[in-house]
Amino acid sequence: MIKNVKEVKDKDFNIERSAEEIRNLSFKNHVCIGCGICESTCPVSAIELEEIGAISRNKINTTFSGHDKLPQNIHKGFDKAKLTIDEHKCVLCGMCSGLCPADALELTINGVPIANIDSYPHFISFAEIDDDECIYCQKCQTACPRDAITVERKLPNRADLVSGEIEVNEDDCIYCGICKEMCPAEAIEVDSVTGEESIVIDKDKCVYCLVCKKSCPTDAIKAVCRICSYGDYDINPEDAVVTGSAIIDQELCVKCGWCEGVCPTDAAKHKKPFKGSLDVDQNKCQTCGACADVCPCDALTIPSLKGPVKVDNVIKRDEYCIRCGACEKTCPNDAITVKITNVDYTPTNSKTWIEALEALKN
Amino acid sequence: MELKVNQDNCLGCGVCVISCPVNAEISPENAGGNGSKTEEVVTMIENGFVKIFCADKCKKCGTCQMFCPCDAIWVE
Repeated sequence: MIKNVKEVKDKDFNIERSAEEIRNLSFKNHVCIGCGICESTCPVSAIELEEIGAISRNKINTTFSGHDKLPQNIHKGFDKAKLTIDEHKCVLCGMCSGLCPADALELTINGVPIANIDSYPHFISFAEIDDDECIYCQKCQTACPRDAITVERKLPNRADLVSGEIEVNEDDCIYCGICKEMCPAEAIEVDSVTGEESIVIDKDKCVYCLVCKKSCPTDAIKAVCRICSYGDYDINPEDAVVTGSAIIDQELCVKCGWCEGVCPTDAAKHKKPFKGSLDVDQNKCQTCGACADVCPCDALTIPSLKGPVKVDNVIKRDEYCIRCGACEKTCPNDAITVKITNVDYTPTNSKTWIEALEALKN
Repeated sequence: MELKVNQDNCLGCGVCVISCPVNAEISPENAGGNGSKTEEVVTMIENGFVKIFCADKCKKCGTCQMFCPCDAIWVE
């Protein structure tokens, strides 16, 4: 008899069935956004989504949205994955894998993910950073709500961007160390110990700002900035170029578009799989902040009060919402409505799959 | 998952009762700290300790757990 075998590792798991073909469904807990699309899609009701609000807030030393840093009390022994699948019910059809907007569930057939098999539909979405346009400002890295972006950059050599001359007349120098304390580039080393006096200026660090010269009480430093006098004539513009690389971790990325939103150039581009709407009933909201804490794309925030001003209970950043619906499921006051009006997926012949994909719309 | 309390840990501060968004909806006067006028709420402080009244109304958002200073209320 063919049986499903479940292998649990930490909070992730694999369900495998070996028959003529090997089917494997894997779940990555850290990727799961808790939207519950898998739960409502599963044709055999094998999937159960846990209480995502409680799980995502059970963290130590975290700033919870809307509530400034609080000493968190983690309940000992609390350790739950965001969803569970009954391996005896699961038929390894791959519906959950195909419809998971974060790709936390992945079905492979004989080792090939169904996203790479043409007969299976998958969402049309992407997020990418164009290296030709990127100026490596790292704004996207800071903004990314999933910490999925890594921008590494190599800065130009400071000495290549300045030009000048500096020297100390040691006959006049009294080794007082004022220049060392004033130097913004930390280029000067002074030893003031009697009998061992010395002064050394590191010309790789010096930017010829002339602060040392101006502050020297005995006028012992002679320095000149060549750029101030003659312009950039001996500076090579190519030496000033910042190089680097910007990489999006596609496993964690949920295509929310923060990178594109903050990018000062046209380097970051994204496309969301769903179109729709996010509505918050401000009167129903009791500002518990659960929505803000589960939202995978930082699209909801609870504003902090600054004085007696009437503010909205929840602020939404509509442009970054991926319409996953995790907030709607979590909200204890039913104050949030998420609607999907359009799902973008690759064509398929399967009527069942089309029905499931169309059922996401509401 | 369900809401659980440990009265041995509870200080009776009432933070969980006031912060609970479901309580706030059922009994808005809770927010003033005077306690609910009805027992139809999720939690209340009774005799100095937190007590669950309507467990089925809890939506497991984890707000009480987040605010509790002494691990006396949690969702598990």
